[in-house]
Amino acid sequence: MGDKVIIKIADNIISPLGFGSDCNFKAVLAGNSMLCRHEDSFGLPEPFCGSLLDRDEISDLAKKELIDADRYTFFEKLCILSAKSAIEECGIPAGEKDVIFVLSTTKGNVECLSDDVSDPRCYLASSAGKVAEYFGNKNTPIVVSNACISGVCAQIAAIRELLGGKYGYAVVTGCDILSKFIISGFQSFKALSPVMCRPYDKTRIGLNLGEAAGTIVLKAADSSDEDDWQYVSSSIHNDANHISGPSRTGEGSYRVLSDILKEIDSDDIGFVNAHGTATAYNDEMESIAIHRAGLDDVCVNGLKGYYGHTLGAAGVIETILSMKAVDNGVVLATKGFESTGTSYRLNISNQVRDTDKTAFIKILSGFGGSNAGIAYRKGGKK
Amino acid sequence: MKILSDISITPGSVVLKGEKISTADISGLYREFIGDYPKFFKMDSLCKLGFIGAELLLKGMDAQDKENAAIVMFNRNGSLVTDRNYQKTITEDNYFPSPALFVYTLSNIVTGEIAIRNRIYGESSFYVLENKDADMMDDMVENTFLTSSPTFILTGWVDYNNEQDYEAELKIVTK
Amino acid sequence: MDNLILQLKNQIIEVLNLEDMTPEEIDAQEPLFGEGLGLDSIDALELIVLLEREYGIRLSNPTEGKQIFKSVASIADYVSKNRTK
Repeated sequence: MGDKVIIKIADNIISPLGFGSDCNFKAVLAGNSMLCRHEDSFGLPEPFCGSLLDRDEISDLAKKELIDADRYTFFEKLCILSAKSAIEECGIPAGEKDVIFVLSTTKGNVECLSDDVSDPRCYLASSAGKVAEYFGNKNTPIVVSNACISGVCAQIAAIRELLGGKYGYAVVTGCDILSKFIISGFQSFKALSPVMCRPYDKTRIGLNLGEAAGTIVLKAADSSDEDDWQYVSSSIHNDANHISGPSRTGEGSYRVLSDILKEIDSDDIGFVNAHGTATAYNDEMESIAIHRAGLDDVCVNGLKGYYGHTLGAAGVIETILSMKAVDNGVVLATKGFESTGTSYRLNISNQVRDTDKTAFIKILSGFGGSNAGIAYRKGGKK
Repeated sequence: MKILSDISITPGSVVLKGEKISTADISGLYREFIGDYPKFFKMDSLCKLGFIGAELLLKGMDAQDKENAAIVMFNRNGSLVTDRNYQKTITEDNYFPSPALFVYTLSNIVTGEIAIRNRIYGESSFYVLENKDADMMDDMVENTFLTSSPTFILTGWVDYNNEQDYEAELKIVTK
Repeated sequence: MDNLILQLKNQIIEVLNLEDMTPEEIDAQEPLFGEGLGLDSIDALELIVLLEREYGIRLSNPTEGKQIFKSVASIADYVSKNRTK
């Protein structure tokens, strides 16, 4: 892999819980959530429980912060605002040749289809192009469209580009917004819970959807300091089982964890930040995979009780929150969890716990039988 | 990167390892070369196209090699054709959202369909690009080997717009 | 009842894309899931949409479907008792 190490140099989260990674972390630490019941939203005949951004607030912010804000859709404004905040934090020359933009999204501007089925803004690459162009970057951006695992896959794609040596920096933005399109689809799958979701709990009945954007800026460095977050290992596997149903044996997720554990000792892992959508099958599948990987004793948590499932943003924002948790010596609580409702008892708590460990694993699973995981460690140790 | 075999499917033309083997359309190709996988008919057009390409390329490959292979695909349209079809099921006066269409409104499902059929447990990845940029795709596939060790990668461009406009250009590569 | 069974078979073939199948090839008593036609969870969800669209029957709880979707005959029985259109 050469001598390069990949480190995180900046991040941002925009969510209904606030603007910025720190304020989001504080809100989650305090147990806040903006999940609530929405009736008559998006022209849907049925109500749903979700976590929605205030579109007027984002629009006002975009007007203040962005040049020519009117050129962009709500989705694109969010992506640019999030990327801009992270880019300004680290001060990289985002327009330069050695910066690559990677966008993680499942459906981008799909809401535009409702007015015009041939609306060119529905092409995912068009949104990614606008984001890169905003910062004066001329490299072709990568769009990762791997369903619900996109947020981790986008980090992996960025890391590969950095290790490949062509680029020095990668701006990874994950974002999805909700629409009649997305919510009706999940409703048709009978996958949504009408009340706040309960990851891994006995009484869980489904997931909640949420809106968010998150950005991580990664750098290919020659060495890392003890305060740096450093990439350790990653893996993507398919269940080869079913396009929408999680594997009954947790095969893909188990293989992801096994790969990652080849590069990192389970004693070093503070926690596994799991997918935890709170559907019956996903959480059960993850419990099997985590058990098979021998991680029964390692702390596990899930953050969907704070944000809902934010689709293409989930892998990015949950990675950032996991880093902040380790920075603060804690394992975040799994909001909504009360008592074990999976075949294998995982080390989950609805309370914030202390940890002095410096690494974590983030895993995701999604439609298409896809599973992905990534491990980061804080500190210069290689 | 070593190319083991390649295939190109466009309307009226299938070229496998440099040899034109058929002029059939996508369903015709299924009947001509496969025929024993009724699930094919449940797939959307993007999946059917990628599935046929994968079937023809992977024919005769060792099951053990396939288990740890990776699937890395690219296109421009994403799942837009199925997105439009799904959109028709959620109009105000005819609101019956179809789960069977919704599941195909994700372009990576094609990689899942291929994985299921071939028992491929390795990586499955889907990227959307503005244009069919061969150099960029090759770079990304080569970089895939930097963080993973698949036996081979089934990779390439698979894009479906309509019956007159589709293209699968796939290949099997090793490190 | 025979008419309803034939109608349901045609509708099932259409919405589930059971290409190359004719209504005669589906035994009304045959299990639809597992063995038999080998339908899966997405097919079950699509059958829920079919009942709602064509017969005005709303199944809010998908587990109800398990009993109803056993066979074409059991669907016909349920539809004849619960249809609103």
